[in-house]
Amino acid sequence: MKKVLLKIAAIAGAVYGLLFAVFYFDLDGKLLFYVWEPLITKHYDRMKRKDNTKMPYDMK
Amino acid sequence: MRDLPHLIEFEELLQQAHNALVRQAREEGNKALGYTCYFMPEVLLDLPGCFSVRLRAPRSSYPDMATYYMSNRTCMYGRCLLERALEGGFNFLDAQMATETCTVTCRFQEHLQLMDIIQNPDFFCEFTDVPFKKNQNSIEHYEKQLRAHVLDPLKERFGIDTSDEAMLQAIAEHNEVCALITEIGSYRKLEKPTITGTEFAIIQLVSQVCPKELILEQLKDIAQALKVREPDVRPAWKCKVVLAGSEEDDPYFVQLIEECGALVVADRHCYGSLPGREQIVVREGETPLRAIARHYLETSMCPRFMEQNTMRERKQYLADTAREYGADGIVITQMKFCEYWSYERTIDSLILPRDFGIPVCSIEKEYVNAAVGQLRTRFQAFVESIEFKKLQKGAAG
Amino acid sequence: MKIKAVREKMKELFVVEKDDSAGRQKKNLKKTLRDFWYGKPHEERELGKLYIGDTGLYKHREWRGVKDTMYYFNMIWLYNYAHMVTDIMKFGGGPVKGVVNFAKGTWRYRWMGQTYLSVMHWFDRGLEGMRGPILRGSAWHYRAMVCETIRQFQEMFASDKNLHGGRESEQWKHNIAHNETVSGSIFYGFHDVLEDIPLEMIPYFVSCHVNNHTVLNYIDAAQSIGLPADPCPMCQAEYGLFVLDDYPDYAPTMITSNEACDGSVATSILQDWFLNRPLHAMPQPMRYDDPLVQEHCQREIEECWAFIEKHYGVKFDWDMYVKYAEQQNKLTAFEHEKWDVAANTPYYPINGVAQALYRIYYSQDGNRPIWHETDARVRALMNKTVKNKINCLPKTRHRAIAWSCAPLYYSNWCTWAYNCWGINCVINMDSLMFDQYLRTDTYEHALEDLAWYNEKAPMRAMAVGGHEHILSLWDYMERFNCDMVIMYDQLQCKGMQGIHGVFEDEFRKRNIHAIWVPHALPDKRTVSRKEIRQIISDYMTTVMREEPLDPTLVDFDDDASW
Repeated sequence: MKKVLLKIAAIAGAVYGLLFAVFYFDLDGKLLFYVWEPLITKHYDRMKRKDNTKMPYDMK
Repeated sequence: MRDLPHLIEFEELLQQAHNALVRQAREEGNKALGYTCYFMPEVLLDLPGCFSVRLRAPRSSYPDMATYYMSNRTCMYGRCLLERALEGGFNFLDAQMATETCTVTCRFQEHLQLMDIIQNPDFFCEFTDVPFKKNQNSIEHYEKQLRAHVLDPLKERFGIDTSDEAMLQAIAEHNEVCALITEIGSYRKLEKPTITGTEFAIIQLVSQVCPKELILEQLKDIAQALKVREPDVRPAWKCKVVLAGSEEDDPYFVQLIEECGALVVADRHCYGSLPGREQIVVREGETPLRAIARHYLETSMCPRFMEQNTMRERKQYLADTAREYGADGIVITQMKFCEYWSYERTIDSLILPRDFGIPVCSIEKEYVNAAVGQLRTRFQAFVESIEFKKLQKGAAG
Repeated sequence: MKIKAVREKMKELFVVEKDDSAGRQKKNLKKTLRDFWYGKPHEERELGKLYIGDTGLYKHREWRGVKDTMYYFNMIWLYNYAHMVTDIMKFGGGPVKGVVNFAKGTWRYRWMGQTYLSVMHWFDRGLEGMRGPILRGSAWHYRAMVCETIRQFQEMFASDKNLHGGRESEQWKHNIAHNETVSGSIFYGFHDVLEDIPLEMIPYFVSCHVNNHTVLNYIDAAQSIGLPADPCPMCQAEYGLFVLDDYPDYAPTMITSNEACDGSVATSILQDWFLNRPLHAMPQPMRYDDPLVQEHCQREIEECWAFIEKHYGVKFDWDMYVKYAEQQNKLTAFEHEKWDVAANTPYYPINGVAQALYRIYYSQDGNRPIWHETDARVRALMNKTVKNKINCLPKTRHRAIAWSCAPLYYSNWCTWAYNCWGINCVINMDSLMFDQYLRTDTYEHALEDLAWYNEKAPMRAMAVGGHEHILSLWDYMERFNCDMVIMYDQLQCKGMQGIHGVFEDEFRKRNIHAIWVPHALPDKRTVSRKEIRQIISDYMTTVMREEPLDPTLVDFDDDASW
C-alpha cells in the first residue's frame, strides 16, 4: 500500500515537475504559437463559407 | 432651354451664408436662427419674427483652424462650418438651434456653446434630443423636446409668438413654399425634364438658406416660367439619375454629374427635397406642434432611424423614387467620415442593383471637392455603363 | 550544420542573454539566493529580455520569487487551465455534451479556435511584473472573465443552428441575442426563463483582447463588401463577423441599441440584413441630462420588454427583476469601495488592465454568480492590503487616469507603463460608466433608474449628450488623485476626434501632463503596440526627463504577438 502511495506520489511529483517546466519555459505558448495557430488558421482560411450577401432582404 | 428667371440672383445668394436676403431680414428686426439638420424643423424657426438659415460654408478651402479642433479625421462639412464660424462668417446668427443627430455636426455646435465664437451678445445654442424611431413614443418625445428647446427659448429670449395660431400661420407659409418647390421639382418627372438638377438644386438650397417670405415671389415666377418652358430638342444628357446620400449643399457637384451626361432628376439627400418639401398636414384634433413633430419623423428617410421596417423601407423608397422620376440609375454619395452613410451606402450599393435592378454609382467625397477629375471619370464610366445596358436591352427587345 | 541550427533555435527560444553586470551579480551567491527567494528588485528584472523576437512569447516565464512564482504556477496557470476544461463541462451541460459542443465550436469559428487556448498568455501580458496582492487580485478578475466567457460561448454553441444541422432547438427558442452594447440589466425580468447572450461580446470583443490576430479578418471582410475604412473599426469588426459567416446562430430575435455612437446605429443596418430575423431597436436618448428625455427612454425599455413578451410568450417578472437588480447593486457598492481605495490609498490590489476589463465586462454583462464570487475574494484581499498598509505598486511615480476609449489590442499597456516607467494607471474612463444604483422599491423607480443606468453606458456616458461629460476628466483627475492623463486617441472615433483641440487647449491651460496615445481600437495595424510604447517613452524622456525603471522594456518588438 505504502509502495503504491509512494509510486502515486512519485508520478504526481513528476507530472507536477513536468507541468512546471511547461509553465516556466512557456512551452504552452510556444506550442500554440508555432504549431496550433498556423494549423488552425489554415483550416479557417480553407473553410467554405456561405456568401451572406445573398441573404434575402424583404421589405417588411 | 431658355434661362429660368432669378437663377443668377439665386446663385449669388448661395455664395455666402450671410447673404443679401439674410441681411435684409435681420435689418427688418427678424432673428436669424441657424440649424444644420432636417430634424430641426425649419417651420418652427420660421415663426413670425425669426427665420431659419440652414448652415453652409460655401467657397471653403481647407479648414485649418477647425482641423486643429476637430482633427482631420472628421467629416469636412462639420469642420468647414466650424472654420466659417471661427472666421466670423456666422456672426449674424442670433441663435443656433442644435441637434445631436450626427456626431460631427453635434461637436461643431458644441464648440459654439463652449467657445466664444459667435460675436453676437444675444447668441445662444440650444440642443434638442431627436429620437431614433418613428413610433408614438418618439413623436410624443420629439414634440416635448421641440416645445422645451425650440419654442420656449425663442419665446423667452426673443419674445417670439409661439402660440398655436402663430404656428398655424408658419405652417401655412411653409406649405406654400413647399408646394411651389414640389411643383418646380415635378418637371423633373417628365420624360424630357424641363428643369435641370443643377437649377433645381440652386432653388432648393436658396429656400433653405434665405428667409422664405423674401423668395416667395421669385419662386412663383420660376414656377410660372416652367409651365411654358420647352425641353431642348436634342438634350445633352444621356441618362437620368437620382442623387442620394448624405449632406450635399453644393450645386456645382450636381452640375459636375450633369456635365458627364447624367441628368439629376431627384434629390434624396440631407439638403434635398425628397423628402423635405412635403406639406405639413395638421390632422383633426391634432395640435400644430404635434403635427410638426409627427411630420418630420414620418417623412425623414435618414439612416439614423433604427426600426427594422424603417431601415428596410428606405431602400424601397429610393427604388420608388427612381421609378417615379424615370431614373436609369442612382448616384449614392457619402461625405467622407459620415458613419451613417458609410453603412447605408454599402447596403444600398448591394441591394438596389440586386433586388430592384437599379444600377448604383457609389461615391465617397469631401465637402471641399478637390477630386473633380476622379469623380468625372467615375460618372462618365457610370453613364457609359447605363448606355451600354440600354443598348443591350434594345438589342434584346 | 543541422545541430548548429537546432542549437541556434534553442538559444533563440530558451536562452536569455545576459550582459556583464548580470554576470557579476551571478557571482554574488547571497544576492542570487535572495533574488531566487524574493525575486529581483524592480530595476534589475530586465523583463524585456525574456521575449522571443517579436512574438511576445517568453524564453522563460518571469521568476517572481518562490512565493509569487509558485502562486502564479499553481493558482493562476494550473488553476485556470484546469478550469478552462471543467468550465466547458460545467456550462456545456455535462462532460460529453460540453466537450463535443466545444470541439464543434472550435472547429467552426475562427474567433474561438484561434483564441481560446492562448488565454494564459493574456494573463501573462496583463500580470507581467506584478507581485503579491496585486498579482492575486488582478488574476482573480481575469479568472472571472474567462469563466463568464466560457459560460457564454457554451450557451451559444449548445443552441447554435450552425453546429446542429440547422435545428431550432428548445434552447435556441429561449435565447435572446443582443448587441454587446445592450446591457444585461435590461433582461433581469426574464433572467430565469430566457438566456440573453450578447452577440459580439465573445466573437469580437473578448477574442480581440486575448488574440488580436483574429479580428483583422473581420475588419478586412467588412471592407470587402464596400464599406470605407474610416468608420469605427469596432463596428466594422462586429458586422465583418457576418460577412465571413462566422457568427453563431443561437437565437430567434435580436435586440439592438444606439449605444455608443453613430457607427453602432449604422452597424444595425447591415446586421439586420445578415441576420434576417425579427430585430428590435432599443435606442437611448442622446441628451441624457435633460429630465425631459427620461420618460421616453423608459417607454423604449418597456417596448423592448413587450417585444420579448410577444416573441417568447413569457411575461416580464417583477420579482425576478428585483432579485437580480438588488444583486447587481451589491456589485456596484463594491465597485464604489474599490474606487475609494484606488483613489485615496496606494493599497489597491488591482492593476490598471484588470480594473478596466473586469469593470466593463461585468457591468455590461449584468449580474452573474461569478462576479460575486470574485468580488468576495478581492474584498478579502483588499481588506488585507488596506489593514496592513501594503503598497501594491511601490514603484509608482505617476498616478494616471486613462481617458476615452482604449486600444483593445493593447489593453495591457498599463502593465508595461508601470514596469517600464512607474506610471500607475489608477482608473480609466470606461470604469466610470454605469455609475448608478437600481432602486427596486417601486416599478416606477426601477424603470427610472434602469433608464438612467443605460444612458450612462460605456463610452456614451462621456462621449455624447454634451461636451461637459467628456470634460468631466478634470473632476475625476482630482477625485482619483491623478497627476497625469493618458489620453486615448481613437483615430476613427468621430466623437473624440471632434473635440481633440479643446482638450489640447485645456491641457495647456491647466498645465496637465497628458500623453496622447493614438490607436484604432481593435486594429493593431494602424498604430502598433510598439509605436504606442514609443510615444509614451518619448514623452517620459523628453518632457518628464525621467529614466526608465526597466530599460529593457523601452524598445522591443511585439508585432507578431497575440
